[in-house]
Amino acid sequence: MRKLALTVLLLALAGTICGAAFAEDTIKVGHIAALTGDWAAYGKTEEMAAKLAIEEINSAGGVLGKKIELIVYDWKARPEDAVNAARRLIDEDKVVAIIGPNGSGGNIATAPLVNSKQVPQIGTLPTNPLVTVGEDGKVKPYNFRICFTDPYQGKLIAYFTAKELGKLKAAILYDVASDYSQGLREFFVESYKEYGGEVVADLGFRGAQDVDFRAQLTEIKNKNADVLVLPNMGKEMALIIKQARELGMNEIVFIGGDGYGEFMWEIAGDAMENSYWITHVAPEDPNMAKFFADYKAKYNDECKEFANGVMAYDAIYWLKDAIERAGEVNSVKIRDALETTKDLKLHHATLTINPADHNPQDKDGVVLIAKDGKGQFFKKIKP
Amino acid sequence: MGTLLQQIINGLSLGSVYALIAVGYSLVYSILLFSNFAHGSFLVIGGYSCYFALKTLGMNIWLAGGLSLIAAGVSAILTERLAYKPIRERTNVTLYLLIASMGMSIVIENIFVVTVGGRFRALPPVIPTNPVNLFGLATTSAFDLISLVVAIICLGGLQLFLTRTKWGLAIRAAAYNLRIAGLMGVNVSRLISLVFFVAGVLAAVGGIFLSVRYTLYPQLGGITIKAFVAAVIGGLGSLPGAVVGSLILGLAEMLTAGFISSQLRDLVVFSLLVITLLFRPTGLFGKSVGEKV
Repeated sequence: MRKLALTVLLLALAGTICGAAFAEDTIKVGHIAALTGDWAAYGKTEEMAAKLAIEEINSAGGVLGKKIELIVYDWKARPEDAVNAARRLIDEDKVVAIIGPNGSGGNIATAPLVNSKQVPQIGTLPTNPLVTVGEDGKVKPYNFRICFTDPYQGKLIAYFTAKELGKLKAAILYDVASDYSQGLREFFVESYKEYGGEVVADLGFRGAQDVDFRAQLTEIKNKNADVLVLPNMGKEMALIIKQARELGMNEIVFIGGDGYGEFMWEIAGDAMENSYWITHVAPEDPNMAKFFADYKAKYNDECKEFANGVMAYDAIYWLKDAIERAGEVNSVKIRDALETTKDLKLHHATLTINPADHNPQDKDGVVLIAKDGKGQFFKKIKP
Repeated sequence: MGTLLQQIINGLSLGSVYALIAVGYSLVYSILLFSNFAHGSFLVIGGYSCYFALKTLGMNIWLAGGLSLIAAGVSAILTERLAYKPIRERTNVTLYLLIASMGMSIVIENIFVVTVGGRFRALPPVIPTNPVNLFGLATTSAFDLISLVVAIICLGGLQLFLTRTKWGLAIRAAAYNLRIAGLMGVNVSRLISLVFFVAGVLAAVGGIFLSVRYTLYPQLGGITIKAFVAAVIGGLGSLPGAVVGSLILGLAEMLTAGFISSQLRDLVVFSLLVITLLFRPTGLFGKSVGEKV
C-alpha cells in the first residue's frame, strides 16, 4: 500500500515537472508597478493597461507564435521594493524584459541589477536623465524609457510659462524627497532664466508625509508671484491648489508637469479650473480613442491616470516590436532591437530612440488646460 | 503682522486636529501603558465610513458623521478584543501589545487598499472651506475656525465625561492603578472597551476633518505620527498634556515652515521632542512612573 502511494506521488511529481516544461511556451515579461502605497492609483492603471495590450497581442496570435505572459510585482513607490521585485522577476520568473516602474527613483535603483543580469528594462514614466545615463555620462546599456526626460519637460514648462503665458514672476513648491521633483525644478529654473523669467519664491515640502502646505503658500502669497510651478505628483499638487484657493489666492496661475492625473479633480474640485499641465499625451488624442474605449469597456473605469495607462500600453507594443525584430526570445537581442528602434508607429507617438542616451527623440509636449471638470487638449508645443 | 497672525491661525487649527488624535493615544496609554499604533487606522475607518455614508447612502453630514464615529469606535473595540486582549491576558509585557498594534495598523491599511483601492478620494464639500477675512488682518478658511471649535467641544465633552460620570471616575481610577480598580469591582474588560471606543470616536472626528481638508486614502493614518509626538511631548497618559503638546506642535510646524524654511519643519518638530525628553523624560505634564518597592 505504501509502495503504491509512493508510486502515485512520484507519478504526480513527474507530471508536474512535465507540465512545467510544456508551460514554457510563453514569453514572460515582468512589470514593476506601484500597486499599494501612495502611488497605487498610477500603478493599478499601468497594470490594467499593460494587461489590455497583452490580451490584444495574444488574441492576434502572440509574438513569434508564442503568447506573452505578464508577471506584475508591487514596488510600493519604494526603491528597495523595486529592486526586490526586479530580482524576483529575473531570478525566479526568468522574464526576458521588464517594463516599469513609473518613478525615476525605482529605475535608478534597479539599473545595476538589470545591467549585470542583462535584462532590458523600459521605464514607463521615469523622466530623470539618470535613469538611462549614469553619473559618468555613459549610457546604461539595458535601461530604456518611453517618455520624454525632465530636462526637456522642464524646458517645456519654462517655455510655456514665459513665452506663451507671458508670466515672468514664478514661485516653485517642490518635493525635496523626490528625484523627479528635484530634477524637474532644476531644469525649469535653468530654462526659465534663459527665457527672462525670475523665480521669486523657491520652497520645498516632504512628499508622502506633508499634506498641509498653507505655511509655504502664505509666503508665496506675500511674494506676489503670478504663477505657481508645481513639479510634483498629483496628490500633492491637488492639495496645494485647493489650499491656495482657500487662502484667497485667486489670481495666481498654476502650472505643472506630467504628474497630472484626472483624480486630482476629486481632491481639489473647482480650484483646478484654468490650470495648465505639460504632459506626454492628451486624453482626446484620436489615436488613443480606441484604447480609452477598450479600457473603459474592460474595467468599467475611466483611465484617470491616462499618461501612465498610455505609456504602459505602448511600452508593451514597443517590446512586442523589438522581440519580433530580434527574431528570437533572447534578452540581449531584444536589447539590441530596442536600441535601434526607428520611426516605430505606436499609438501615442512615433518612436525613435537615440542610441547615445536611450531616450525617445523629439517628442512633442502636450499642454492640457483644466476646464469644465477635466484636462482638455490646449496645444502641442516644441521650444 | 498679518502673516504672523495668519500662520498662528494655521498652526492652531492644525494643532486642534492633532489634539483630537493625541488624546486617543494618551487615553489608551493611561490605562494599558502602551502606545496603540493602530490608532491611525481608526481615523481612516472614520473617514471612509463618512465618505460612503455621504456618497452611496446619500446621508446628510450629521447622520454620516454620527455613523462614522460609531463605526470607528466599534472597530477600535474589535481591534482590542481581537488583537490585544489575548495578549493582555497572557502576559503583562506591554511591548507585545505595541508590536501587535503595529501589525494591526498594517493589516487595516491593506484591507482598505485591497477593498476600496488606493485612489485618493475627497469628501463632498460638507464643511465650508470658503476664505474668511478676519477684521482685515488675515485670511483664513472657514474650515479652520470650524475645526478649532469642534475640537474644543469634543475635548470639553471628554473632560466632562471623565470628571462628572461614574464611568469617567472608573477610567481615572484605572489610570491610577488598573489592578486595584479591578479589585474594587470595576469591570476591567468593559472599561478597556469603553476607553477604546472613546479613542476611536475622537480619532474619527479627526479623520473626517483631515479627509475633508486634505484627501482620503488608506495611508492617511500615517499623519498620526505627529499626533503621537505631540502626546509624548505633552506627557503620555495626560489629557491636558496631549492638548498642549498638539497646539505647541501645530504652531511650531507652521511658524517654522512660514518663517524659517519648510524643509526644516520636521527637523524642528522632532528636535522639540528630543529636547523635551532630555529635560522632562515623562513629557511636560506626564507623571513619573516610579516602581514601588
